[in-house]
Amino acid sequence: MKDFTISKSQFLDFLSEFKKEFDIYGPNETSKGFYDWVAIDQIEQFEIKQGLPKSSIKTFLFPQPEILFEFSANFKDPAAYRLKEPDFKEKKIILFGVRPCDARSISLNSMPYSEDTYFQKRLEQILVFGFLCKSVCSTCFCSWVGGSPVSMDGMDIAVFDLEDAYVLRPITKKGEELLNRAGLDEATDVEKEAFNRLVKENSNKNQSNTADILKSKDLFDLYNASFWQELSDACINCGTCTFLCPTCYCFDIQDEVLKGKGRRIRYWDSCMFPLFTLHASGHNPRGDKLKRVRNRFMHKLKYFPDRFGPISCVGCGRCIRECPVSIDIREVLRQMLET
Amino acid sequence: MTKVQEKDWEPKIIAFLCNWCSYAGADLAGVSRYQYPPSIRIIRVPCSGRVSPNMILDALKNGADGVLVSGCHPGDCHYISGNLYARRRFSLLKRFLEFIGIESDRVNFTWISASEGEQFAKVVSEITERVKRLGPASRLVKEF
Amino acid sequence: MSTINARIEQELKSIARELLDSKEIEAFIGYKKGSMPMTMTPFVARSIEDVEKLCWNSFCVLNLANYLPQVLRSFEPPRRPNEPPPEGPLPKVGIVVTGCWSRNIVVQIQENQIERDRIVIIGISSRGMIDKKKVYKMLNGHEVTSVEEKDNQLIVKGPDLYEEINRWDVVRDNCKTCVHPDPSIYDVLIGDLKGERQIRNRFSQVEEIEIKTPEERWNWFISEISSCIRCYACRNACPLCYCPTCFVDDSRPQWVGKSKDQVDTALFHILRAYHCAGRCTDCGSCESVCPMGIKMRILTKKLQKDVLELYNFEPGLSLDTPLPLSTYKLDDPQDFILTDIKMGDKK
Repeated sequence: MKDFTISKSQFLDFLSEFKKEFDIYGPNETSKGFYDWVAIDQIEQFEIKQGLPKSSIKTFLFPQPEILFEFSANFKDPAAYRLKEPDFKEKKIILFGVRPCDARSISLNSMPYSEDTYFQKRLEQILVFGFLCKSVCSTCFCSWVGGSPVSMDGMDIAVFDLEDAYVLRPITKKGEELLNRAGLDEATDVEKEAFNRLVKENSNKNQSNTADILKSKDLFDLYNASFWQELSDACINCGTCTFLCPTCYCFDIQDEVLKGKGRRIRYWDSCMFPLFTLHASGHNPRGDKLKRVRNRFMHKLKYFPDRFGPISCVGCGRCIRECPVSIDIREVLRQMLET
Repeated sequence: MTKVQEKDWEPKIIAFLCNWCSYAGADLAGVSRYQYPPSIRIIRVPCSGRVSPNMILDALKNGADGVLVSGCHPGDCHYISGNLYARRRFSLLKRFLEFIGIESDRVNFTWISASEGEQFAKVVSEITERVKRLGPASRLVKEF
Repeated sequence: MSTINARIEQELKSIARELLDSKEIEAFIGYKKGSMPMTMTPFVARSIEDVEKLCWNSFCVLNLANYLPQVLRSFEPPRRPNEPPPEGPLPKVGIVVTGCWSRNIVVQIQENQIERDRIVIIGISSRGMIDKKKVYKMLNGHEVTSVEEKDNQLIVKGPDLYEEINRWDVVRDNCKTCVHPDPSIYDVLIGDLKGERQIRNRFSQVEEIEIKTPEERWNWFISEISSCIRCYACRNACPLCYCPTCFVDDSRPQWVGKSKDQVDTALFHILRAYHCAGRCTDCGSCESVCPMGIKMRILTKKLQKDVLELYNFEPGLSLDTPLPLSTYKLDDPQDFILTDIKMGDKK
């Protein structure tokens, strides 16, 4: 597949040409003052800053709320008393400025969601312009959990930042198809060389044996370790980490009925909430804070790798930055590896 | 909105009336054949102190154009002090709802005793008039 | 390290050590250093070794009174929710508090969530805590690796950054308008009491909104909560939100939907703020923990203003004054009652 190039000053205009076909989102300053996903109409000057947008791209893959089906009890409605699936005529979406960690979360989330039709449909609609990282923040640890700053897993088009131009490399067929009809210049050999060099220099940063070490540990040793008490003392069970995490995928389903019409919706749920495991009988196996905190980390770092292979964490560092009590998953990982 | 264009748009006002005074007062209004607009939908509660802000907001969420909460006069509560607690609760709630932008005429509170049938009819007419001027509720109404 | 805070920290550690050593308390709730700069992690010290990790500085923003009922409960033998506590003296817990947190403890005692004789309170008069969001805003996106606190300055360092910031510029908004920095309840005092602060325009943030038209106020409210992701960090960080089942989790009837729908989110914020009416001491934890930068303190501040105006009450100053919504006076103001207004008047 060919590489293409475009100058930085023309990048936003190039993307705007696809506005009719796609809804385009990229990271920018919001009115609240933090860096988050906004529609391209609100972006005047494009500058990929170091650092990640506040929310992960799962806001596009599982929107909150997602309507599963609708129903109505209004007998004048021709579709009354029947379950109606929502029209899925949504426009395709381009996400640009997606970092390797966020892009990798797509393939990690696809594992438990391999049979989820809603997720798969939305996945087909999305085109990811991933931007490789040339430097890492102090809270990034992607290479420790099986990713890397130059991983192209999950991207449709990988973008590499040269001083005044971007080099665009298609990774999937979707990406190739878009770039082929975009009418861009092909990348020069010098530019391609720079791209390849960056990838080569940084791919050895991947210390991918963390997952193997965790898989080899005995589950009950980790479960009964003594460090969980001190860790969970501070936790306020808020749900911030789960909602901002790109690889936390739990949801709850509920019917909402209003004036004879109803819909079944799916929305994000968090294992940190006490109601998450509340049984109809009133018994709650994870009623204690310690059990819930332990469960979250054990799931991401032990149960998920045991079942699917990779660690369910991409090393983006959002939970570390946003946790109100500064619970650090790197610290947990270190203590689990030492047990 | 088509509702406003209809000249005869009748707002829907949910009224929480306390069983011992206000509900009896409303009943007296009916028995004495005082006329008042049919915009009002009455919910009988044992005491105005039972009404919690959850309920008032739930009424607004479900599309009520206005809410009325009515209880016994202070000092006359059947449960001695229910309406006195309610008075404090509602004064804070009314100011708070105004603060976030809910029009102040949408949520109303009155004291109506069991013998005040005429006052009840007058209150309902007044409130209907005020809510009609505001138009249909749109701010806290949940829609799919 | 700021010398004032260093002295407080040392004294705090020695008191905590003494209390744990003499077995007067089973645990001490305080703070230890977090892994991110400017963030402290609440910490329950259960042994003398643990006391060494205790810290005190101007980044201790989370309200420790939030942990008190749970920690006290965890030292009792397990029992069902409606069972009365067992007979005999129960284990005690120590806690370090400043002005607003101590007032929350008073409110918790008044609401029977904790018993006064089971806690040993170390009080410190607050100099104001620092809002790390304000610091980050000043730095324009530069990364921070370490922050050193001096008595009146912050020295912020990063890979391409060295900045000296005036401390008072980045103190939290609620600390700047705080009238009662002294702890209103304590067993041991570290440092001196400062007395009441004279503040003009305590409620200026609220007044700015009050003068707008209803349309503008609604637009402000909706735009403020539009970024809410319903993570409930604000509710969980609040020491007053201790209901076993929150109104959000009620399902029969369901008052508030669970998704990010605008009306449901608005209802959540309105009702949560309202539930704190007359009890909120403006500790600012809710705003500090919000990941999406929502300024929900303005809502509770408005209620605080009204409670002060209508009932001349400030929560948590005394154990004897009852909370405003659990009491009444026969001559309470009732200017909002319709039948008191002349009918037929246009409002």
